[in-house]
Amino acid sequence: MDGVLRRPGLTAGRLWPLVPLVLLVGIVAVFASTGGSLTGLIGDNPPPADEFEIRRVELHPGEIHIRVTNPQRDDLTIASVTVDDAIVPFDVDGPRTLPRLRSSEIVVQYEWVDGEPLSVGVTSSSGIQTVEEIAAATATPEPSARSALGYGLIGVLVGIVPIALGLLWLPSLRRAAPQWLAAFMALTAGLLTFLAVEALSEALELQAALPSALGGAGLVLLGVALSYLTLTAISARFGSRSGAGGAGISGLALATLVAIGIGLHNLGEGLAIGSSFALGELALGTFFVVGFMIHNVTEGLGIAAPIAEGRSVSLGRLAALTAVAGAPAILGAWLGGFVTSDFLGVLFFAAAAGAAFQVVVEVTRYVARRAPGGISSPHVLGGFLAGIAVMYVTGLLVA
Amino acid sequence: MTKFSRKQVLAGGASLVAAAPLAKAVWPDAAQADESATHLGHNHPALGHAAMVHDHVPAPGGPNALDHLLEPPASLPHKPGRLREYEVVAIDRRIEVAQGVFFEAWTYNGSVPGPVIRATEDDLLRVNFVNHGSHPHTIHFHGIHPANMDGVFEVVAPGDSFTYEFTAKPAGMQLYHCHATPLKKHIHKGLYGAFIVDPKEPRPPAQELVMVMNGYDTDGDGENNFYTVNGKAFYYARYPIPVRRSQTVRIYLANLTEFDLINSFHLHGEFFRYYPTGTGDQFEYTDTVVQTQGQRGIIEIDFTHTGLFMFHAHQSEFAELGWMGFFDVRD
Repeated sequence: MDGVLRRPGLTAGRLWPLVPLVLLVGIVAVFASTGGSLTGLIGDNPPPADEFEIRRVELHPGEIHIRVTNPQRDDLTIASVTVDDAIVPFDVDGPRTLPRLRSSEIVVQYEWVDGEPLSVGVTSSSGIQTVEEIAAATATPEPSARSALGYGLIGVLVGIVPIALGLLWLPSLRRAAPQWLAAFMALTAGLLTFLAVEALSEALELQAALPSALGGAGLVLLGVALSYLTLTAISARFGSRSGAGGAGISGLALATLVAIGIGLHNLGEGLAIGSSFALGELALGTFFVVGFMIHNVTEGLGIAAPIAEGRSVSLGRLAALTAVAGAPAILGAWLGGFVTSDFLGVLFFAAAAGAAFQVVVEVTRYVARRAPGGISSPHVLGGFLAGIAVMYVTGLLVA
Repeated sequence: MTKFSRKQVLAGGASLVAAAPLAKAVWPDAAQADESATHLGHNHPALGHAAMVHDHVPAPGGPNALDHLLEPPASLPHKPGRLREYEVVAIDRRIEVAQGVFFEAWTYNGSVPGPVIRATEDDLLRVNFVNHGSHPHTIHFHGIHPANMDGVFEVVAPGDSFTYEFTAKPAGMQLYHCHATPLKKHIHKGLYGAFIVDPKEPRPPAQELVMVMNGYDTDGDGENNFYTVNGKAFYYARYPIPVRRSQTVRIYLANLTEFDLINSFHLHGEFFRYYPTGTGDQFEYTDTVVQTQGQRGIIEIDFTHTGLFMFHAHQSEFAELGWMGFFDVRD
């Protein structure tokens, strides 16, 4: 009966999808073997930039560690290292000549001055220098229980604490008139829109600094799409679970989505703060942490708004919402402090943007369904604008 | 990352309530301040190259690589009209300017600086110049000569040649460089060298050295990345110049550093006589001289002590970017 199925035409039809692939392989092979002649037709390839990428500079007592990567197509050799425009002796942990995308760590014995600016330069054998400026030199925390605690506390301060404080507005919200509740829901949508735009711009900025082999706006889009679609699926599940087809998701489900969106944002924020601390960029003030706290209090309000009507929510649920929204800041601070990777930063911020956009959509649907006077009522429009304005103004604290 | 127990985390949470330990925990570097203080006296002093000598210093080239630039051709007694002939060829060449760092230079005779040209006053100097480079070049000599020997209008195209011929004068430390435009590019790429004109009355015998101060902008940002004398960063720190205490050391010094306004020469542990441009008998007794681009002079040192004596640009930045060396003074 196989014979019946294997009529020649049918087999050919089934194999047809492979034909473009086979042809592609063939053409690629021909091109790769004669590619040089094509470049010859157009003109010479431009010379490589021969520039290292400085991934991370760590300061230890009497020592500077510089992690460099070769983002070029061709091999790159570490020829000379400067600290504050002075050539210094150095050791290399790893190969001195780096193939594409390989990294090495340069170790320099150097008595750097605490709290003062520092510039570190790495020169390749063709004389091209890459310089990394450090705003204020400060010892890179060694990964220890102590510093883990320090980063954890930063995460708690900028993540958990402000959200818990914001949730304390819940009893007041419960007493609010429906149109005011709608205004606060709109405020949530406004602040999430702000966070989404902020995260997106952060992701795009970070990706621009990545070696082109890793980065690109495509990575950002991938992160945005991944988190947007994941949250869409989650909210669809919430919707179907709540039963009553078409009634949409419940207030608690929406609050959970808001918390997830904010949590992803705080993951990126924690990463940024942690790595800034590790790289000495934040040695300039506690002001920064305070600013983030004030900035993030509004996020708690955003989670409180959807659960302000209907059944009261248990304290355990509230704690869980706080953890979902705030705890990622701790994880982010750890990752940023000890690993510091711009690549992770791009992914996290992109995911945060996607999640925030998705939650804005959910909140808008919710408001459209529930708000007296609908989505274009003055309360809703004013609330949305107020959400953006509050985030903008408090954001100036950390600018 | 060091592992930590749940108990430690909880303890940290408790300290959150108390304000005082908070600052310390949030700013881990503050907690480590006392730790770093103990490191100040560690056993591996973090010296820069500018405080090192011999093999500790990275410098390109072998022990005698720069002899032809450091030691000028012999001076000849005064004999008006005698022909002194030199061959100079412009060549594009990748040269090692600091250890492991290569620079796409434009050179006279393959080195930066170019060869030392020397004549006695009233000699007939003839320089046969061939341009084997990829750009038009000239040789512009400092000194007294006819307008058509000035190396400004007589631009020599790649593959062409030109013969400069004039009577060498005045006596002193002169120099030469390319004067094709863009001037800045042609000079910082390396087209320059020392030109010594000896006086009718020979200078007293001495150990004679030539030092041309320069810089290299290896990454094209209009600022020098390396500074040297005679073309290679830290060369005379790795290979100190041997001199004798009993003999005068005469240095023909010129500054051909592009981009920076001035360069300087400073000698440790000794003073010297400095004759600006080397054209007269007047000298300053000093240990530091400053020259702008194109300025030059003659230094005469009589060492009092033996040992290693450092010389360097007294712009600390230049010294730490390669312009530093030593005299090894012996009996």
